[in-house]
Amino acid sequence: MNRQDLQLIAEQTNIKHKQYKHKVCVCCGAGCIFSGSKKILQNLQDTVKAQGKKKDIEVVPTGCMGPCNEGPLIKMMPQNTIYQKVKNEMVPAILQSHIIENKPIEKWLLFKNSKQKPFINSLQAPFFKKQRKIVLKDCGDINPESIEDYIVSGGYKALERVLFEMSSEEVIAQIKQSRLRGRGGAGFPTGIKWETVNKYVADQKYVICNGDEGDPGAFMDRSVLEGNPHRVLEGMIIAGYATGASKGYVYIRGEYPLAIKRFELACQQARKSGLLGLNILGSTFHFEVNIRIGAGAYVCGEETALIASIEGKRGNPRPRPPFPAEVGLWGKPTLINNVETLACVASIITHGGEWYAQIGTPKSGGTKVFSLAGKINYSGLIEVPMGTSLREIVFNIGGGIPGGQKFKAAQTGGPSGGCIPAEHLDVKMDYENLVALGSIMGSGGLIVMDETSDMVDVARFFMEFCVDESCGKCVPCRVGTKVLYDILTKICQRQASMKDLEKLEELALFVKATSLCGLGMAAPNPLLSTLRYFKNEYLNYVNLQAALQPS
Amino acid sequence: MAKVFLMIDGRQVESEPGKTILEICRDNGIDIPTMCHLDGLTDVGACRLCLVEVEGVSKLLPACTTRIQANQVIHTQTDKLKKYRRMITELFFAERNHICAVCVSNGHCELQELGYKVGMNHVHFHYLNQKCDLDASHPWYVMDHNRCILCTRCVRVCAEVEGAHHWNVMNRGVQARVISDFNTPWGESITCTSCSKCVEVCPTGALWSKQTLQGKMEKHPEKIAELMEKRKMSL
Amino acid sequence: MKPKRNLDREFSRTDPCVKLVIDKIEKENYRPDALIEILHVAQNAYGYLPMEVLSFIAKELRLPPSRVYATVTFYHLFSLKPRGDHTCLVCTGTACYVKGAQAILEELENKFHLKPGEVTCDKKLGLRTARCIEGCGLAPVVVVDEEVLSNVKPEEINDKVLAKMGVKV
Repeated sequence: MNRQDLQLIAEQTNIKHKQYKHKVCVCCGAGCIFSGSKKILQNLQDTVKAQGKKKDIEVVPTGCMGPCNEGPLIKMMPQNTIYQKVKNEMVPAILQSHIIENKPIEKWLLFKNSKQKPFINSLQAPFFKKQRKIVLKDCGDINPESIEDYIVSGGYKALERVLFEMSSEEVIAQIKQSRLRGRGGAGFPTGIKWETVNKYVADQKYVICNGDEGDPGAFMDRSVLEGNPHRVLEGMIIAGYATGASKGYVYIRGEYPLAIKRFELACQQARKSGLLGLNILGSTFHFEVNIRIGAGAYVCGEETALIASIEGKRGNPRPRPPFPAEVGLWGKPTLINNVETLACVASIITHGGEWYAQIGTPKSGGTKVFSLAGKINYSGLIEVPMGTSLREIVFNIGGGIPGGQKFKAAQTGGPSGGCIPAEHLDVKMDYENLVALGSIMGSGGLIVMDETSDMVDVARFFMEFCVDESCGKCVPCRVGTKVLYDILTKICQRQASMKDLEKLEELALFVKATSLCGLGMAAPNPLLSTLRYFKNEYLNYVNLQAALQPS
Repeated sequence: MAKVFLMIDGRQVESEPGKTILEICRDNGIDIPTMCHLDGLTDVGACRLCLVEVEGVSKLLPACTTRIQANQVIHTQTDKLKKYRRMITELFFAERNHICAVCVSNGHCELQELGYKVGMNHVHFHYLNQKCDLDASHPWYVMDHNRCILCTRCVRVCAEVEGAHHWNVMNRGVQARVISDFNTPWGESITCTSCSKCVEVCPTGALWSKQTLQGKMEKHPEKIAELMEKRKMSL
Repeated sequence: MKPKRNLDREFSRTDPCVKLVIDKIEKENYRPDALIEILHVAQNAYGYLPMEVLSFIAKELRLPPSRVYATVTFYHLFSLKPRGDHTCLVCTGTACYVKGAQAILEELENKFHLKPGEVTCDKKLGLRTARCIEGCGLAPVVVVDEEVLSNVKPEEINDKVLAKMGVKV
């Protein structure tokens, strides 16, 4: 396939879609599949067929639409009406009333059970209105298993432009201008990373897409991989072109079978269409992608551990420098970017770096995807501009705390992050602000806690996670986290003294300063941040008598 | 080759480029404690004892794996580093069951020496009291996991020098243990050549020769560097 | 102790499960860096990783046994022990934790006298925990065999598991 064919596919597919008068999108994101959306999809297809409306109504499985706890969701196009908690018996009624009689069924509309007024056009609801979708642009609208659908919505246009109109330096310049930063958590400027890899001369370079999303409560990467795999693939190929790499690896968590399946399919389709392999789109650029499946180790999200795992070894991290940009996979210069980072690339190329930079804050460009969960009315997947306040996310988009409880804290960054208390609800979410509050952006998991949450126990929960996930290579992380966990347990059992509390803090700072990799360095964060904002809860647990007893 | 200059602990030192911070410190008589490092083996930066401060770098860097750059200003003996080295040593002792008084390596133990060196007078943390096995199935040698500090010198010497790949590490975190083959008893190993290199490099009394009395196990880890040196010689 | 040979049948190259492993090894061109991919195939075929199979993979890839064992035990998805006929997987991710996964786990532990990672004596049920299955919007989540139970309440979980196992409540 060459450049002209791409245009042709877009036009042909567009004509095909235009034949239908109506389109019903069925959310087949993980959340909705858990709630049974596959059955709804089958039922819809069967019903449409039985009613002889196959020529009028198109039924499309799509990626995640957002409000996962209201699933299964179906979206009626072109009105953008979303129905929530759809059951099999509701299907004929929806088809009859909504499509044939053109009367939306108000009682089943999205957000019907909440205080919010339901909207016929669901995108008018505050949950969607405050969002800005770039990474998730087509997620929930197109069939993730169809390359044609992606091409019709402008897919692979950016790749085409890059291959025929831009030099690798020009691509990097756009990425630098966009102020895109690594969405895996640390927030390293992506453009600089690309430039560094590009600079090294080697017979072989690699691009790795990090899809080892290990933070509990974070499912952004999964939703992107499942909802729009071609977008990630396009980003990877562009990254390969910009850095001079001809091979790519996608490392996906073994816990995400659907993401693996869809990405594999995307690669096959792209290969067949000449978008992957030799002479992509008739150019002189070659790029090949392999999939590697993770096997359940949180530490493999760390880039050097990830490389070890791709090489088929234990996922032990190694000290940096040298950084993977210089000595990476099999000793070759390697670019490692997170799924979400790569999913931003196509839009930046299409609209320009300047456009992307203007969406966010002066230091962090663009948007960030968060997965909202915990004690919140609407949990699910959202995408907001960098710098959106936490209050806006929790109360406007998330609809506040259920059961009349009060907001206590939001946990960001998973086991490597911290808790943001109510007094900082107005914090503008970006990398620097969160670090200043003792948390991190992390990959984007945002768990809301209400007054019933015990913050000491929360710290203990995360410390247990780190004890279990520590690779055991370096001493501070291997032994230090275990000792910290034991002290926290002692505190929870009301057997700790003030001295233990002091020891806890001293040791936490030590582990943070001396550990080998990001896991150990960040493991004390949840502890330190709860100690900072909820010290009185720790003090309530401390047994004043314990100090008097001989140890 | 052009020399590079750098400041270490307020002294100006010069060196060829490409060396590690640890090498240059040892060249200049600056003492940095180490445990996982052994001349002749690949460095892994695992024990964290050799961490140093480099001005302009926010995190501490392991001296054994970090290569020098011209004009770096390095501090190796600050109060913070000394405190951290003591804490690391305490964690070594807290992790498993180190009882010097009954140990074959008593008096010749690198961990014991480290304790004296960093001024550890007692362990501030509670002991983990892990249950560890002892493998005495090999006809000549014993592996006592109670005394293992997971420096992985044995694993590396077996892979890099002997080439047998008999040892490795299983599990992760505090559950990590040095294993032989498929976690099989050492005496039944199909890969071990009984070369004794692992015993020689072990810094503690975890690996020792049978029929050794308490305090009588002397080891010679420096042999490995000599071996590697001799390998480069032609006949 | 010797590694227990723990395959329930004689190891043979003609065994369909071994066939799958061999196919994968050949597809990966005997590359040692494909070890984890091959282990995934073996585990899918057997439900766990029998020692005989590990030994076979090590030989075929020309990898030291210690390296194979070290890799297998590093990753939590790999299991060296056979699993039960039914599996009950309790998600212990953050969202589930906040919404009370611990109580559900305790309920199951008490009812079936199991700790996570164990299998009942009759090999009928295995209890496992997961770091996060990313069903956070539906928390707390329990997966019984393939079925995802959402918004689970501790008092109802035992009955649901028993029903799934075909035991009349």
